[in-house]
Order: sequence, then structure tokens, then C-alpha cells
Amino acid sequence: MTSSDQQVDSNLSQENGLAIINSKAPFSSNYGKDALDVALIFGSFEQKVSLFFQGDGVYQLIANQDASLVSIKDYLKTFSAFEFYDIEDIYVCQQSLVNRQLDEAFHINDVQVLASVEFGKALNRHQHVLRF
Amino acid sequence: MSTLHLVRKSAFTTNDFAQCLSVLDQQDSIVLMDDGCYNLKHPLMDSLIKRADSTITINVITNHAQARAIETLAEVKHIEMVDLVELTFTHKKVITWQ
Amino acid sequence: MKTLAVVVTTPPYSHLTITALTYVETALAAGIKVIGVFFYQDGAMHANENISIASDEYQAIAHWQRLNQQYQLPLHICITAAEMRGIACDSIDNEQINQAFTVSGLGELVELTTKATRLVQF
Repeated sequence: MTSSDQQVDSNLSQENGLAIINSKAPFSSNYGKDALDVALIFGSFEQKVSLFFQGDGVYQLIANQDASLVSIKDYLKTFSAFEFYDIEDIYVCQQSLVNRQLDEAFHINDVQVLASVEFGKALNRHQHVLRF
Repeated sequence: MSTLHLVRKSAFTTNDFAQCLSVLDQQDSIVLMDDGCYNLKHPLMDSLIKRADSTITINVITNHAQARAIETLAEVKHIEMVDLVELTFTHKKVITWQ
Repeated sequence: MKTLAVVVTTPPYSHLTITALTYVETALAAGIKVIGVFFYQDGAMHANENISIASDEYQAIAHWQRLNQQYQLPLHICITAAEMRGIACDSIDNEQINQAFTVSGLGELVELTTKATRLVQF
């Protein structure tokens, strides 16, 4: 199968690309960084990838965090490079924000806050899903 | 058929099952496996079963539940690994909640 | 043609890996084309030749090796994940790496994902 064939295939199917669900808080594990690495590589191969933040994963987006205070290399800063990788669809679960008493104040722009049903529908628009 | 949800964690420990339920669609199916089998006795299961009389199918991997001495429910379908492989392709995508 | 790509994120000593292995073997036996298994996060530890699990316990690594031989199942480990877990990936004839596994980058995951009809994570 040539790469152009694959392109046609993915255009034909209703769902396409990869959805990555982030479910972990940013600093206590490598999950966020591992998910970020996958997202960036898909972006650099010009494959559609969208990011979903749910549960404690929403903490990855909150503004004014400073990983350096706990000696962690701040991978969250890389989120600002998403547009250079054509990663445009970034979704946050509204209920997860509400449950954690968080405002919609994020450290990157163009984040879409969605109610559970819409969050699920956005997820459904993708062919494959990985969750970290 | 749309999404196949593989639930591998106990809802008594983590929110993974609750997060799965929050995005669950009418056409989806759930497979309880590994410690996800413990969710058969979790309060979240009651609300799910109420929804399940619509179109959501709830499955459990038989030997995963049996190994853990979990009583199963009439509303839950017992499946084997070979059925899970089949479900993978009768649904459009698979999400693993672990 | 039904094609399947599998991502394994659990280490060889995790009982969760047994489920992944059983699933993959069942798929292969059912005639599904499994185009590759990508070992990410702690999954990369599978390629470590120095891992020794008590002989009366489940031998996940030996089972992956068997599937690799029996079905020519491609097993890819993520180089970044492997190196941060003490598996040196710098030379091809590295004695530290189990030869059933191929050292790959995340680009391989992109390749598998775009080719597969279904992607399943364990």
C-alpha cells in the first residue's frame, strides 16, 4: 500500500486520526510526557492527532504551574508548540474542571472545553484512541 | 456498533471506570477484564445497568471474574478471549481504561 | 483484511501483561493479521535480557519470543523508553537486548497506527 492509498483510505472513513486521552496529573509520573512524545511524533509525520484532557489530566493544562520548583523539567512548556505540529484539536472535559474547582484558565490558547456528551462525540470522530 | 471499552481497573481504586461511563455512547459495548471485573459490585454498575436496557452491552471475561471469585450478574454477558478479538472488529474503535 | 496493532505499556512481571499476551495469541490463532506489537513505557522492559522471573511463574518474555517465532510477529520496543530503563540500545549485536525484539522509535508506532484497522492498548 502506498502512502497516497492510505491517504484516500483515511479520507473515506468517517473517523480518522489518533485521539490521545490524558488522564494523569503532570508531575508525579511520566504519563503526560509519554503522551506528549506520541502526539508530537504523529504531528511531525503529518498524521492527524487530537488531545483530550479528562480527570486529573486537566491539571496538565492549568496556567501558572512551575515544575522547576520541584526540580522537574517543564514539558508542559512544549504544549505551546502544538500549532507548529498542526495539533489543533485540544479538548478538555468540563465536568473534570468543575469537580476540581478549576477555572478555564489554561497555559495554552484554543482549548475547547466540552460537556461530557460533546467530549465523547469528539472522541468518536477518531479512528484510534490511546490513553495515558 | 461504535466503541469497545476495555475496563481494567477497579472503580474502588481509580476513576477510570467513571471516566469511561462519562463518554459512553448508546451503541457502545463494555468489557470488564482484569481488576475491572470488581466493578460488577460497584455502585456505578447499577446506573450502568439501568442504561444497559437500552443498547449498551456489558461483557465480562469469564475466567477473569471466576479467578477473582466474583459473582456475576444476569445483565452481564460472559465472554472468552476469542469473543473479545471478534468484538474488536465489530466495533469501530477500542479504548482501554487502565 | 483485518489488521491489528497492539501497544503494550505494562512490564514483563505485571500480570496485566498476561492478558495482552493471551489476547494477541488468540487473535493470531483466529487468523487476524497482527502487524506489530509496540512496547512503550514500562512495556519496553520486555526486551531486557537480564530480567529473570522465577521459573514457576508466567514467562511473559518467553511467550512473546514464541509468538515472534511461530507467527513472525514483529515486536518493537521504543528506544527512548528502553534507554531510560537501563537497556542500552546503541549497538545492533547488543547482548542486553533480547533478539526477538526490534529497537524502534515512536515513528514505528505512527506506521503501525496508520496501517492497522484496529489499535488496541494494554
